[in-house]
Amino acid sequence: MRLEWKTYTIGIVLLIFVAGLELIPPRIIGRIVDEINRDSLSSNTLWMLLGGLALVGIGNYIARFFWRYFIFGASIRLGRMLRSQLYRHFTDLDQRFYKKSRVGDLMAHATNDVQAVSMTAGAGILTLVDSVTLGTFVIITMITTISWKLTLVALLPLPFMVLLTTRYGKMLHSRFGVAQAAFSELNDKVQESVSGVRVLKSTGEVERDVDAFENLSSEVMAKNVRVAKIDALYDPTIFGIVGLSYILSVGYGAVLIEQGELTIGQIVSFTAYLALLTWPMLAFGWLFNIVERGRASYDRIERMLAVKPEIQDDRMAATTLSHSEVEVDVQSFAYDDHTVLEDVHFRIERGKTIGIVGRTGAGKTTIVRLLTREYDVKDGKIKIGGINIRQVKKSLLMDKIAVVPQDHFLFSDSIANNIAFGKPDADMEEIIEAAKVAEVHEDIVRLSEGYATLVGERGVTLSGGQKQRISIARALMTGADVLILDDALSAVDAKTEESIIEHFRVGNPEQARVIVAHRLSAVEHADEILVIEDGKVIQRGTHDLLLQEAGWYRETYDRQQLEAIVEGGGHDET
Amino acid sequence: MKHDVQEWQVIKRLLSYAKRYGKPLGIAFVFLLIATGAKLAGPFLVKVFIDEFITPGVYPTNWVIALFTVYMVLHVSAILFDYLQSISFQKVALKIVQNIRMDIFRHVMGMRLAYFDRTPAGVLVSRITNDTEAVKELYVGVMSTFVQSAVQLVGTYIFLYVLEPTLATIGLVLLPLFWLIIWAYRRFSTKYFAQVRDLLSQLNAQLNESINGMGVIQQFRQEERLIRQFEQTNEAHQEARYRNLKLDSMLLRPIIELLLAFSIIGLLGYYGVLSMSEQVQVGVVYAFISYIERIFRPVLDIMQRLSEFQQAVVSADRVFKILDTDEPAPGKQMPGVAHVTEGEVRFDDVTFSYDGEVDVLKNISFVAKPGETVALVGHTGSGKSSIINLLTRFYPYGSGKITIDGQPLGRFEEQELRDQVGLVLQDPFLFTGTIEDNLKLFNPNIDSERAREAAEFVQAHSFIEKLDAGYGHVVGERGATFSSGERQLLAFARTVARNPKVLILDEATSSIDTETEERVQVALDRMRRGRTTIAIAHRLSTIQDADVILVLHRGEIVERGNHQQLLKQGGLYKKMYELQSGQSLMS
Repeated sequence: MRLEWKTYTIGIVLLIFVAGLELIPPRIIGRIVDEINRDSLSSNTLWMLLGGLALVGIGNYIARFFWRYFIFGASIRLGRMLRSQLYRHFTDLDQRFYKKSRVGDLMAHATNDVQAVSMTAGAGILTLVDSVTLGTFVIITMITTISWKLTLVALLPLPFMVLLTTRYGKMLHSRFGVAQAAFSELNDKVQESVSGVRVLKSTGEVERDVDAFENLSSEVMAKNVRVAKIDALYDPTIFGIVGLSYILSVGYGAVLIEQGELTIGQIVSFTAYLALLTWPMLAFGWLFNIVERGRASYDRIERMLAVKPEIQDDRMAATTLSHSEVEVDVQSFAYDDHTVLEDVHFRIERGKTIGIVGRTGAGKTTIVRLLTREYDVKDGKIKIGGINIRQVKKSLLMDKIAVVPQDHFLFSDSIANNIAFGKPDADMEEIIEAAKVAEVHEDIVRLSEGYATLVGERGVTLSGGQKQRISIARALMTGADVLILDDALSAVDAKTEESIIEHFRVGNPEQARVIVAHRLSAVEHADEILVIEDGKVIQRGTHDLLLQEAGWYRETYDRQQLEAIVEGGGHDET
Repeated sequence: MKHDVQEWQVIKRLLSYAKRYGKPLGIAFVFLLIATGAKLAGPFLVKVFIDEFITPGVYPTNWVIALFTVYMVLHVSAILFDYLQSISFQKVALKIVQNIRMDIFRHVMGMRLAYFDRTPAGVLVSRITNDTEAVKELYVGVMSTFVQSAVQLVGTYIFLYVLEPTLATIGLVLLPLFWLIIWAYRRFSTKYFAQVRDLLSQLNAQLNESINGMGVIQQFRQEERLIRQFEQTNEAHQEARYRNLKLDSMLLRPIIELLLAFSIIGLLGYYGVLSMSEQVQVGVVYAFISYIERIFRPVLDIMQRLSEFQQAVVSADRVFKILDTDEPAPGKQMPGVAHVTEGEVRFDDVTFSYDGEVDVLKNISFVAKPGETVALVGHTGSGKSSIINLLTRFYPYGSGKITIDGQPLGRFEEQELRDQVGLVLQDPFLFTGTIEDNLKLFNPNIDSERAREAAEFVQAHSFIEKLDAGYGHVVGERGATFSSGERQLLAFARTVARNPKVLILDEATSSIDTETEERVQVALDRMRRGRTTIAIAHRLSTIQDADVILVLHRGEIVERGNHQQLLKQGGLYKKMYELQSGQSLMS
């Protein structure tokens, strides 16, 4: 916020300037009225005074334009800056953070909170400065140039306005809260009805559900009427009290005129000043509200920006590696107190494929998480190129190891751009090459827009298998030394899976691969297969070797063969 | 231009809702007229006071008191009626919104299921609640402001004419000027506003996507590139807001204030020049200044509400689009009255497709005689669920014929069909409320006694009793606190309470804890007794005693018969059975 102090200063100076200028017209008007009344107006005086009014009017217009521009402009820039900071900060935070946080909450920081802060910085500051300076100026002018007695009498009702509107504010706040709560209940109700529409339709209760909705919705209405009842009080109250002030100033003014202390023109000026006072009185109650909200939001943003990623680069971290062979030596690893891996040791060598299989929850994905340093191993070591990955710059590690995760995520962009995500300057040939290796080229060409087809939320809907294959192509583009497929072929049919894996072997003989899979056919050709159960390696070896052992691997293999037959409609297609 | 036409149509349609409230609106309008008149009389009375008493310096007590009394009476009635008109307008506005809300909710709930499959729940919820809320703002805030402003404007001019017709006529010049300013402001602000809004939603979409895809972004180390992209949008958004700000600063309040200043100059010039040739009453000058200020306030009010107004029109348009989407549930289509008497279900050569291209059911024929159990088995996508979707009349079928007791499905009244054909869903969606509420599900014909009997019948009673408050137990988190078996039992009880003649069971795929498994089995047996049952079975063990088992594959019935017959055939069913009973090919 401090960065903008210069613009704010200019804005505020202009604002005070406007407040000062606003004091002039009532005086001139009063003067003209007096001259008219005394029948002493000469055309010279008249034109001079009117010219003065015109100048003040124009000056006011210009100054008003600029203070708005400066103060609101600063608040717009502040909003932009906070948004940028948050975005940058989000890119720094690690996956552990994202697992703990809800997207909606994170979004709320960058939307509602930024908006509230920027509102405080704009409208809030404006209101504060404007109401305080204008209010003070006007009262001082009334006292010094017209009459302190009249000022005192005329202002008598105004404290009641402050009192009443503050009171309304509180009532409105609580009633509004009740109305909001009813509204969110209505929201939940609709959510439930829409999600449960099958049940409602199948039991024939739709009509009764509509009745229930009607009850809730009437309640929302009734609560909003309660809000309206307070809300509608503001204008009449202000009108009533200001009117009282007017009648007091005109009435008492008449007495003062009789006593020869004032002129009619001064009364006219005085009522014009009174009009200027209404706004500062109103602004005060409103101001506290805005500032309160802005401060709470600013605190939330500050707290968010203070969150540090849990895994950070060592200052001495290596920035180059002689080779990319990975050695995994995990004695044990636990999330909190819950041990998930024990005695897992293996090597990922150039050109070799490691298969990791096992039941859901056996610890397969944890191994991947350790390789990408989402978590650090305390009891054990993982080395790449002979160096402990904790001493390797994280960005370098990411360059060397490419992971295709279980949950494929595509951006709202063209397919080509999605594939080239990690290498934005890639040419079309490279993209097509990667798509071919991932066996998705044919699918893409069949789409009406080909590689230019938009995917993601607003684009075409692709099947899970197509998305998975595009994610694979995306990972292939980077040419990482180690490619990890974390159950990334689950939605791809067996035949396609086989050819993708075959492409890998032929395509890039230098690359090391880790294939984590549910379906054993994905790891059949691996150089070594690890079977994980309860965090331990219970079987290891090649496919042929493991088939000869009685155990999890062979049982699962048989079972999956049978499943394939059933899915094929009972015919033995293998 | 085309945009304007559409906007106008939306407004017209919104206003047509107001027709129903002619009388209360009329009353509110009368209140408004009284309030405006009383308010505007104030400066006139002050004018009289100045010209008749202050200027000559005579104060006849009676007259002063009379004037003061009139002023106070008018003042108090202005306060009172201003409050009354405001509250009356708001009440009507809120009622109208309530109407719109009911219309859209009823309309959406009456749509066929295909519509729900296609439209994300979030979108529907947002239309029914948030968009109607924006429409509420339009009615409560904007429309009443417009009406009030217009009345005040007209009223003020009337008083000006009473005071000084010549000057009032000159003052009419202001009207085209106002119109010009509003027109210019609207012309530019519509565009800028749309830009700001679009860029903001783009900004939020980018942010949302980045948060969701942060893993991928970091994995491919594209943080800097995406920050740059975000910055671009962020900057564009800032630019658009700046343009908007400039426009607001130029054309909104400052220009109105400038115009006011010049009007006062004109006014004073007029009277100043006049005073040089004849006697001018200063009270008139005072009153004129007061009135002129009041002309400007409504214009400012209208302009400040314009953006809200546009927003609300966009929302209203979205609401109307849904109201215009006409995809009613299949419902009763044929004349005549049909009743379910015995519960014989017959599919005769039924072919069905969701999208009109790929047939998901091909030539399906089978009969379930009264009291019989027909089981449907097959892997995902084989067409089991589609059969149920047709029998429950959730989707209209293509060719072929489905009958219950010889009567075509389309001849049954909705309520008859729902009462007699009970569906037990895989996921027994539990609503907010107590267990008992969930068993009754709003149906007043089911009393607590019957709900309890149903629960006892399906053996859900014992676990319900153990909950705190028993049947009064409030279901939390959509029933996530219950085990899948318990949820199944509740679904059973819900259906049994309705005592249908035909039972459709969609068995849960998720495994059921062994503790409840047995009870589920017993309940299933009991429920099926005396009812025609069509059951989708995932675990073949549960349907071994079915009268007929239909094995589906790719929308066709590939095998049919009872358990023993199918095992003997040695086809798909046998393989599935082996797979499930844990026997492998090798052994």
